Amino acid sequence: MHLPRFEYFQPSTVEDAIHLLEIQKSGARLAAGGTDLYPRMKYGLTRPESIISLRDIPVTPPTLSQDGILNLDAFMPIKEVVNSRVILDNAPLLSEAAGRVASEEIRYMATLGGNLCQESRCLYYNQGHNFQFIEPCFKRGGDLCYFVPKGKKCLAVYMSDTAPALMCLNAKVNILGSGGEKQIPIEDIYSGDAKHPLELGPTEILSQINIAKLTGSAGWAYKKFSLRGGVEFAGVGVATVLQMGDGKKVCEQAGITVGAIAASPLRASNAESLLKGKEITDSLLKEAAKAAAEEIKVVPHHGYSTPYLQEILRVQTHRALGTAYERVGVVSQK
Amino acid sequence: MDHRKRVIELSINDEPYVLAVEPQQTLLEVLRDSLSLTGTKEGCGTGECGSCTVLLDGKPVLSCLMLAVECVNLDITTIEGVGSIERMAPIQEALLEKGGVQCGFCTPGMVLATTAMLNRNPKPSEGEIKRSLEGHLCRCTGYNKVIEAVEATIEKISDTHE
Ligand SMILES: Cc1cc2nc3c(=O)[nH]c(=O)nc-3n(C[C@H](O)[C@H](O)[C@H](O)COP(=O)(O)OP(=O)(O)OC[C@H]3O[C@@H](n4cnc5c(N)ncnc54)[C@H](O)[C@@H]3O)c2cc1C
Ligand code: SF4
Ligand code: FES
Ligand code: FES
Repeated sequence: MHLPRFEYFQPSTVEDAIHLLEIQKSGARLAAGGTDLYPRMKYGLTRPESIISLRDIPVTPPTLSQDGILNLDAFMPIKEVVNSRVILDNAPLLSEAAGRVASEEIRYMATLGGNLCQESRCLYYNQGHNFQFIEPCFKRGGDLCYFVPKGKKCLAVYMSDTAPALMCLNAKVNILGSGGEKQIPIEDIYSGDAKHPLELGPTEILSQINIAKLTGSAGWAYKKFSLRGGVEFAGVGVATVLQMGDGKKVCEQAGITVGAIAASPLRASNAESLLKGKEITDSLLKEAAKAAAEEIKVVPHHGYSTPYLQEILRVQTHRALGTAYERVGVVSQK
Repeated sequence: MDHRKRVIELSINDEPYVLAVEPQQTLLEVLRDSLSLTGTKEGCGTGECGSCTVLLDGKPVLSCLMLAVECVNLDITTIEGVGSIERMAPIQEALLEKGGVQCGFCTPGMVLATTAMLNRNPKPSEGEIKRSLEGHLCRCTGYNKVIEAVEATIEKISDTHE
């Protein structure tokens, strides 16, 4: 399979990359690892006139600031996210989720920023359109949907594994663009519209991810459900953090976020508030898992039905909370 | 800069190659079509099967998703650089002994991924072996024999080191 032709630029600074985006306008696409973009280009789902490669831009190693904020370069390869000691010590939930992305080879190639900025996916969309599904659906600029034939909008699902983990950790991201730099909560990069899941402007680059470190009295877990357990996008991915009080019995703050379930990762706020201020017991965790499965509006995808995914979501949330509770006080995975 | 050809130098299996490529050409295309290094296979072309795996500075990557122009200044290792019929690498011998090769299409990718893994960690656990090879589809062996071959290689290597 071949890539279509494009003009190619390899800037060596982010500023140059933004400048190129300004000149090239909507015809340009950024390429980081290319593991999401190039397959889509090979299938003809997107045909950029030019590629602005981010590979030549030096990557800053992760740092922990005085006030306990972990700063990560968005161009960091996923494999380095998995292996980084400072991430493992301060945001092990992210290490765990990053370790579940794709395959070993892709983890070496792909970047954290690319993982967050990946397109939403659908069984009908992510393939060539030469002999079936030829007429473009909503996502390809047409006026129909193959998945829900009478549907009025696209229901493709955003499947990043790192996104729910980062949302659970209340991460903030830095966005660089022609207008300068801004720092926004990760939630705000999502539009909620499956056709264009990201809110980033055409000249904007996600440059940094900032996470407040987890303390010793926190527990965490990422549970990715898939049928085969190998290289596979998630059926659902659940990230949890339990921030416990001093005695490690009472939950001060809970985080429960779900990926691969909608056009963006979603937060189970009702389930979170159920846990807040309570002493953790298994029946309370069960109750929270049930609440999460009830409040999250599940979009069926990749052959999984809505009731099936709801049940999986409940079970995975219960398991994730259980693991998180077991890990309270264990700062690092290793 | 435009999509006219550009001249690049690649270092493949410790040999320099100077050639003209267009930016959209993948490393896989250049290896197979321009250099006739056809040991690297194209299964899917979209990142799903692992048969196109090569090493870049010792790291396993998918050559079907790597632009050739981005491989300059990196040491590229393909299956042609791992062993020969006369002198096979331990993992290649073990795959033969254990029946981990049938049609052989996935084998170059499996060999390179294993090579990278063992260079990093000569004594991986079964879990680590499976994680390293999870991106490699094999339609013939059912995987168990491949894993057995990797385990046999680990034993062989540790014997020669002790
Ligand atoms: C077989 C296979 C299995 C996969 N499995 C998984 C999986 O299990 N979980 C998962 O999460 N993903 C998976 N992926 C998708 C993809 O590999 C990952 O999401 C990967 O992390 C993408 O990163 P990248 O650097 O390669 O992105 P790229 O392909 O380079 O970029 C992705 C998109 O983001 C844009 N972009 C990249 N970097 C930036 C930036 N800094 N700022 C703004 N925009 C940017 C690009 O323009 C592009 O549109 C899989 C892919 C394949 C082929
Ligand atoms: S869900 Fe979206 S991508 Fe899938 S067929 Fe419908 S419109 Fe197309
Ligand atoms: S050909 Fe590259 S992964 Fe299949
Ligand atoms: S031996 Fe035939 S695909 Fe693996």
